[in-house]
Parts: sequence; C-alpha cells; structure tokens
Amino acid sequence: MIKVEGLYKNYGDFEALKDINLTIPKGSVYGIIGSNGAGKTTLLKTISGIYKPDKGFAKIEDEDIYENVHVKKRMFFVLDDPYYYHNYSIKEMASFYKSIYESYSDEKYENLKDVFKIDENKKIKNLSKGMKRQVIIWLALSLNTDVLILDEPLDGLDAVMRQKVKKIIFEEVLERQLTVIISSHNLRELEDFCDHIAIIHSGSVIKEKDIDELKNNIFKIQFAFSGDVPKELTEKLDILYYKQSGKVTTFIVKGDRKKAEDLILKYEPILLDIIPLSLEEIFIHEMGEAGYEKENILL
Amino acid sequence: MIELDLRSRIPIYEQIIEKIKDLIIKEVLKEDEQLPSVRALSTELTINPNTIQKAYRELERQGYIYTIPGKGNFVAPVKKIINEEKVKEIKEEIKKKVMEGLYLGMKRQEFIDILDEAVKLKEGLK
Repeated sequence: MIKVEGLYKNYGDFEALKDINLTIPKGSVYGIIGSNGAGKTTLLKTISGIYKPDKGFAKIEDEDIYENVHVKKRMFFVLDDPYYYHNYSIKEMASFYKSIYESYSDEKYENLKDVFKIDENKKIKNLSKGMKRQVIIWLALSLNTDVLILDEPLDGLDAVMRQKVKKIIFEEVLERQLTVIISSHNLRELEDFCDHIAIIHSGSVIKEKDIDELKNNIFKIQFAFSGDVPKELTEKLDILYYKQSGKVTTFIVKGDRKKAEDLILKYEPILLDIIPLSLEEIFIHEMGEAGYEKENILL
Repeated sequence: MIELDLRSRIPIYEQIIEKIKDLIIKEVLKEDEQLPSVRALSTELTINPNTIQKAYRELERQGYIYTIPGKGNFVAPVKKIINEEKVKEIKEEIKKKVMEGLYLGMKRQEFIDILDEAVKLKEGLK
C-alpha cells in the first residue's frame, strides 16, 4: 500500500501540490486525472521519489520513498518522455536496467518480445514514437517491480497494442498484485482500466474514490409529472444541475440512487429515467464544483 | 460467455453482476455450475480483475453464487431468489400494462374482471 499524507510541493513561490492525501491499495490500478497543469506529473514524481516533498510524505508499506534506494528498487516510473542512452539498442537498454533492478526477469523480457514483435537489436533512437512507447512498456514490465507508475502511457499506442498492454498489466495485477498508478487525459481509457480514481485540481485532491462508487454516487435523472415538480424533490435531493425543457425536468443529483428513485416514484411520474454519468461527465462536474470553467457543456 | 458494452454508461461492475444474474435466472448457468474464473473473464474481456472480483463478491453477498477457496465460484441454489426475482419482474410488467390501460380509459372494475377471469381459468385447469 502506498500512502501519501499532507504532501506539499512548491516550485519557488508556486504551490504545485497542496495537502495531498491518498491511499493506494496494493494490487490496484489507480488513476490520477486532472486538468492541464493540475499537478499530476509533479504528484507522480513525488510519489516515485524523484522530488523531495516540502511537507508531508509518500510512503510505501510505512517506508519513506524519497532517497530510499531499497524501496525505489521496487518501483518503476515510465515518464511521458522516457530517456534512453544514445545509440543503445533495446537489448542493451534492457541489460542496463537489469544491472540496476534486482527484480528484472529475463523470462518476462523474452515473453514480451513475442508480444511487441520489435527487433531487440534495433537502436531505440531509430524507432518511431509509438514503437519507443512500446519499448519502454516492454522494459518496464520486464523489470517486474511491485509498483509501476505510468505518466500518460497509452497515448501514442494503437488500439490493438493498447488492448494487449492492458491485458498484460491486468494479468500482472492478478498474478502478483502489481500496483499501477497511471495518469491520463483520456478519461474513456481510464474508465475501463482503473479501479480507483483521484481527481486533482490546482494542486489539491478534490475526489478520491473507488471508480464504481464514484459512478454510483452521481447520476442524471430525467422525469416528468402531469402537474408541477413536487417541492419535496428540490428540497430533499442534492441537485447539482437543473434543467427544464417543456414538461421534462433533468436533474444531476449526488447521493444514493435508490433513494432518489423511490422519492420520485412516490409522486407517480409519467416519465422517469435514471442515467449513469460517464467518467468524463463526472470529471467535468467535479471540476465545475471546484471552480473550473464548465459552462453548459454538460447537458 | 458474457458480453459487456464498454461504451455504455452503466458501470462495468454493474454490467457483470446483471449479466451473470440473468444467466442464472434463465438457468443457462445451473446450480453448482462453476463460473468462469476471474482470470478467464479478465483476459477474455480485457477488464480489470479487481472489478470482476468485486462483482463476484457482490453476487456472493446477494446469494447468487458461493465461493470455494482455491476452487472458484459456483452458482448457488437460488430457486427461491429466482422466483422472487421473477415475481418482481411480473409485477413490474403488470403495473406497466395497467398504467397503459388507465391512460386508455380502462376502469378499475375492468381490471378486476380480468383478474377474476384469470383465476377462473387457472382453477379450470386443475
């Protein structure tokens, strides 16, 4: 388990991270989403021990991560712009990592060779951008670390490769409780990938939850009554958004879905539809509540 | 064995629960039959294994399946639950039809007549 508590990180006067608290269970696929410049990469770099926290800590199984070689050996960070030694081939890069990470597995490297189907003797600098991405994921998985941190990792991979990589990662999660921390802009992608989500906005966590709880806790209701909308509804429901078009009312409601449904059913609506929100809509909404421009893109 | 709609807004976890319940209620999955392993489903559907595990736990909580540690998940004897589910479904359907009838101007007595007729029919069958 990785625990982040009261974490602050400043760049000069700029507060990049403010009082971050996260709990990342072992064996989970943990997604970090946020607006541009929200502090995702800073957070990942602090969790992986590249940056020193100004206040607070990031710990894995109660051990500080920063400046702790013994712990850092157990995690690998795939940057969105990975570094390779000039003129190194894939094979040479692998043997470099092998010399650093005791957990490195030749067997995994060989198995993954068949998945990625790239000539291991090729120089990395000569590969295309998408292939470089595949190489770093290939190497990262060969390292067999307990934790894998991925900064927008799947962007740049084609659909077939993305599916394959997901499958391999899921297998590792199941097999040996690999913990994956992943950031992305592509919310559709994260929706199928993660089991936990943290939403961060201007350096703070505004939401951290199990993805299904997150989705169950906010939903869109469309309904119509033959008469007016009963007062009790607007009083008792936690309504984030309200729209009336003709007889049909649309609410975006936070809270228990069953309770809201029962409450409306009591008044015998002539139309009632409850629609779950997509992660994208939830994100936009949470961001809206946090003061981020959202206007009327939602409905 | 089960198909998920990844584009649907319904959470995958709920979809898995509903699909498996459906297979059990329709008796495609029979009592004591083994469910596909978490690994098999995860690989087949490319779904996070934690999500599948969670769905299985929920199905177990609701009494649809039971777990034998080290062996896997199996369909529980659910005749009773199935019947309850079916009754619930039928009630919903009747309610819908009655609503439609009401909108078309049917009167309370007409529904009662239909009910009496149905009861007679059933008794006649005995």
